[in-house]
Amino acid sequence: MAKNGLSALLLCSALILAVSHSLAADSLKIGIVAPLTGPAAETGRFQINGAKLAADEVNRAGGVLGKQIELVVEDDQTTNPGAVLAFSKLSGDSEIPAFIGSIRSTQVHAMAPDVVKVGKPMMIGGTDPKLTHMGNPWLFRFRPNDTYSARVIAEYGVNTLKRKQWAIVHSTDAFGTAGKNALSDQLKALGAEIVITQGYTNNSQDFTPVVLAVKKAGADVLSSYVTFETDQGILAKQMRQLGVDLPWIGSTTISTTSALRLAGSALNGTYGVTDFAEKSSPAAEAFAQKYKATYNATADVFSAWTFDAMTVLAKAINDAKSTEPEKIRSAILAISGLEGAEGTYDFDENGDGLHGYNIVRNDNGTIVFERRIDFKE
Amino acid sequence: MSIVLQLLFTGLGIGSIYALVALGFVLIYRATNVVNFAQGDFSMIGAFLMVVFAIDMGLPYWLSAVIAVVVMAGFGILFNYGVYYPLRHRTFLPVVISTIGASILLQNGVLAAYGPHPQSLPAMLPFPGINIAGVFLDSQYLLILVVTLALVALQYLFFERTMLGKKLQATSQDKEMAALLGIPVALMIGITFAYSAVLGGLAGILVAPLLFVSINMGSTIALKAFAASIIGGFGDVTGAIVGGLALGVVETFGAAYISVPYKDGFAFLVLFLFLMVRPQGVFGEKVAEKA
Repeated sequence: MAKNGLSALLLCSALILAVSHSLAADSLKIGIVAPLTGPAAETGRFQINGAKLAADEVNRAGGVLGKQIELVVEDDQTTNPGAVLAFSKLSGDSEIPAFIGSIRSTQVHAMAPDVVKVGKPMMIGGTDPKLTHMGNPWLFRFRPNDTYSARVIAEYGVNTLKRKQWAIVHSTDAFGTAGKNALSDQLKALGAEIVITQGYTNNSQDFTPVVLAVKKAGADVLSSYVTFETDQGILAKQMRQLGVDLPWIGSTTISTTSALRLAGSALNGTYGVTDFAEKSSPAAEAFAQKYKATYNATADVFSAWTFDAMTVLAKAINDAKSTEPEKIRSAILAISGLEGAEGTYDFDENGDGLHGYNIVRNDNGTIVFERRIDFKE
Repeated sequence: MSIVLQLLFTGLGIGSIYALVALGFVLIYRATNVVNFAQGDFSMIGAFLMVVFAIDMGLPYWLSAVIAVVVMAGFGILFNYGVYYPLRHRTFLPVVISTIGASILLQNGVLAAYGPHPQSLPAMLPFPGINIAGVFLDSQYLLILVVTLALVALQYLFFERTMLGKKLQATSQDKEMAALLGIPVALMIGITFAYSAVLGGLAGILVAPLLFVSINMGSTIALKAFAASIIGGFGDVTGAIVGGLALGVVETFGAAYISVPYKDGFAFLVLFLFLMVRPQGVFGEKVAEKA
């Protein structure tokens, strides 16, 4: 009796072992660092949704190297230390061959040294141009970097709107200053004149001095690099109140849902650059519909970039026929002409996949797609 | 000229908000000898209450404001019993830490309940503003100026002409003596907290249509208000008001004529100058430790 019991137990354990072994063999883990708590928690959910949508699609089509993708999510708490901690947890798991990192440049900067040490590819959404230009071979970007937003703003304003006298208003943080510098260079290259540049610190409660200075300067077009939606809202309201009615081309913030809600009609008629626009391509539209059908929510940049990152990563591992970091890297860099939700991916040697932006217009509170401007490099 | 007047108007408007929050700081400081680091969050709570009543529940705007102010008074009393009262016999440091803790709790509580996206409130008056000879007088700024002036006048009458006001003054001057005279000190401190919460909440309600409603809206204002109360003379009611208005005007003109990115810098430069040259502030009295 005891003998029977023992053999039954052995059999059971053998079965469990076999099952768990086959489970492990059938899944391929991909690590994601995303904010599940903290101020950006809501966007973290969108990012995971996007990646999951792509993973489900890949899994239905047969998976990666015959295995099903399994997402392993770690919380970055919307902080830099949190991101570093989350990455170190994920990188401790040797079964994970690649990661999807953060949309925030500062967090990618924080994790970057560890990514080099671990030596495995990380897909990123942070748009600081430096991230892919600091000799880290393992970062691959799925959004256009900030030099392209400046090029697109300048190109559209000078060549399409035919405006030559520019006013630039920018946040003095890293994002706003880098944007202002890039835009100034582009405008000079296109032969336009910058009649006034005004910086402001984030969370300014009042923009009267900025608005009055712009009003006096005699510009024929206004451009802005604004970081926070609240600042965008106050700036727009005060511009209109104090009688500045110039055509306005802004960085991404100007056309976000939040900014539209806060500023109301003050932003009507403005132009913005944005990396994800539903109507920008058939691939973007298809993604937006799938996202809506699955989550009953509107797709945005947060879900779009992780969707593309997961899709490209799966394709790269399949192309490489291996999970070796070097081979995945070569396969990603070899990707060209891939239609994604964010645009057409042509990876350059730095790891930047996209090289252009969409121009959108605020038509009485509705964001409509104007044009896609892509550059060769 | 119109530019100077425009700047003066916005400077005074923003300054009134600093003044209201600074008043809250000063009143609690006088009553308890403690700086309440959650004073800015009172503004944030007041503004979010407006969002709850006026937007989510769809109540009329004026009614929402009245309910929000009443709720703020209750909130101030709760704050007193939760944050100050249990520590009233300790030194000032545990109480200060307690108010900082309360500030973190309030911000994250609202974050958990409302999410990180800023909310907007419509302007309180039905017209956007008046244009006089090229100077645009925003209706909300006008309202802020009027309410601040009215409050200052009412407060003066209340403290100088009513028994309750005199009892409150006595409590803030000398708690032991006040207790000996039969003034219920704990109740007076509770009332002070309620009134400070109302002032802070009112500042938040008034400023919400201009600066929007976000969880950190209070921190930025409170920092300036704190500087304003030091410039005016910490613990002095007139000083808080004058300091607030002066700070608003100085930073607006500094931004316009010297440099916009250093706008916040001007406020704190003035603070530094005062701390070096006249640490007791404009209206403060010099207090010397007796040997």
